[in-house]
Amino acid sequence: MRNMYTAGIVLLSGLSLAFALGILYGEATDRWFFGGALVGALLMAYSGIVLLLRKMGIIGPRKAER
Amino acid sequence: MSTGAGIAPSPPRSRYGRFMTGVLRGTLKLDVWINKVYPADYNPLYYTGGLSNLFLFILVLSGIFLFFYYEASLVEGFASVQYITLGVPYGGLIRGVHRYAADGFIVAVLLHLFRNWFTDRYLFSRDNPWISGMFLLIFGGFVGFTGYQLVWDERAQVLTAMFVGMLRSLPLIGDWLARVFIGGAGVSDGTLVRALFLHIGPASALYVMLWWHYLRLRHPKIWPPATWVLASVGLVFLLAGVIPATSGQPAAPAGRPASFPMDIFFLIPFWLLNYMSPFAVMVLLGALFTLGFAIPYIARREAPQEMSVRHAGVAQVIDGNCTGCELCFFDCPYNAIAMVPSPAPGLSRAAANRTWLAVVIESRCVECGICIGACPFEALELPKFLERDVQAQVLEAVRA
Amino acid sequence: MSNGPKVVGFVCDWSVDLVPLMEGGRLREMPSVRIIRVPCSGFVRPSWLEDALGRGADGVFVTGCPYGDCLNREGNYLMRDRVDQLQRRLQRRRVDPARLGMLAYGLHDGPAFLAAVRAFVEGIRALPAAAPPRSAPAAPAPAAAERETP
Repeated sequence: MRNMYTAGIVLLSGLSLAFALGILYGEATDRWFFGGALVGALLMAYSGIVLLLRKMGIIGPRKAER
Repeated sequence: MSTGAGIAPSPPRSRYGRFMTGVLRGTLKLDVWINKVYPADYNPLYYTGGLSNLFLFILVLSGIFLFFYYEASLVEGFASVQYITLGVPYGGLIRGVHRYAADGFIVAVLLHLFRNWFTDRYLFSRDNPWISGMFLLIFGGFVGFTGYQLVWDERAQVLTAMFVGMLRSLPLIGDWLARVFIGGAGVSDGTLVRALFLHIGPASALYVMLWWHYLRLRHPKIWPPATWVLASVGLVFLLAGVIPATSGQPAAPAGRPASFPMDIFFLIPFWLLNYMSPFAVMVLLGALFTLGFAIPYIARREAPQEMSVRHAGVAQVIDGNCTGCELCFFDCPYNAIAMVPSPAPGLSRAAANRTWLAVVIESRCVECGICIGACPFEALELPKFLERDVQAQVLEAVRA
Repeated sequence: MSNGPKVVGFVCDWSVDLVPLMEGGRLREMPSVRIIRVPCSGFVRPSWLEDALGRGADGVFVTGCPYGDCLNREGNYLMRDRVDQLQRRLQRRRVDPARLGMLAYGLHDGPAFLAAVRAFVEGIRALPAAAPPRSAPAAPAPAAAERETP
């Protein structure tokens, strides 16, 4: 299970790198909607990473909600 | 109350009570499934209120951006929106963010409403957040509608005409309300200024109502967990980029289009106009919101006498034992305990030198008993479930 | 009823659905477990748990709603903190903290709740016998006179 989570994090990290490059590309070529959509995709990939980290127990719950 | 033997509660007898119990079980069943995927502190259904607040925050920030460029006049209104969409760098994106965050806001608010309704979180003095929440819903819906007006394309024009028709259908005050709404006898240059005010004014008022909404909560869960902040903001940006928000044809004084793109989140009353008279739609809306306000008082699953320990009475302070230590004051989740200067020393040894006295604000107490657990000095009791009753049950358990 | 350690459970009325699990105030599957229904897990005063242990109960547990979903918003978090503190206090008094438990189960978690209670009871059965009751109460006029200073 832990290996699957790690694989997921690696996959999502790779995706977010691709999205970040896409944002730069959209900015350079003035494709604002393209770049903006990739900002959203990047944030969603980050949310997936945070979720997987939480499920692996690397980042814990907030103190009040331990 | 019969405290002996811990008699199991009988299931609600009325058909309505059974139905609402089924709905409660269904709502919590959904949680069971979601908790299989998400840890409990990341369960989005535990944070519907926080999600609403997050979407509102996105709306405010993107709205400030749009406000820089928007011009509220019949001539410039449509053109300025087009300029935002096509001319301003990332302007169309921000417009889309504003549009989709509004949809997310309504979805989150409705989830919040139904979840708290179905899981009985409106009982006793929790009607107060319910009432403020209904005001938030009405104002939020109206703000969404005036947002469609501001674009001033054909749809906006038709919507304005329809809404004016609905207002005029009301007896006595209808004409006056319509005048207030469009800023004159007919659509004029003042109309969009009025619409802009009716968009931003009630939206600012939402924060006043949120203060009222949070007033009785000790630690309101205002923000959702990190992963949901990222996912919500991300989803809104993704949608805004993939399906950009667009205007229709510019409004023309003679134009009367027969149809326009619908929006299921804000424009449902206007869809009803296809089938009903404007007055009937207004009556329906009025009845709907009246029922909404009445839910805490008429939607009880159980009669009070069926509620057993769930209805144990408003907590009472035992004056002689209170030491003024503030523990109950800190733990009460509803801010229902106030500390007042002690008028006289207490009776017990620990309470002899107190400076403060705890007082239960009865109109805020929801009879949960958390203050009883917080108090190590036996200075609080629930009148229908006394410490004596608990001790009797414990004794019965250990002697058997 | 004499088989198994005497366990007292304080169960929030909004958490596990007890109707199918209970009979005459006790769990049908484990009659040695006496259930006391309370309006919220946060209602339980830690001195009651201590009292129950002192009066001869072999174990005490509190059950609240799942964390994050307390009907009264914070009752189960508050109760968990209190149970943690009480466990530390018990440890200083040479009472095994395993005799005190905090569970959190929702309306539909009846089987999981039963399994957790069973594990709790088994854990207590494995412990060495507890000290004899502090004061064997003769009459059912309990704690009123006896004041616990915290």
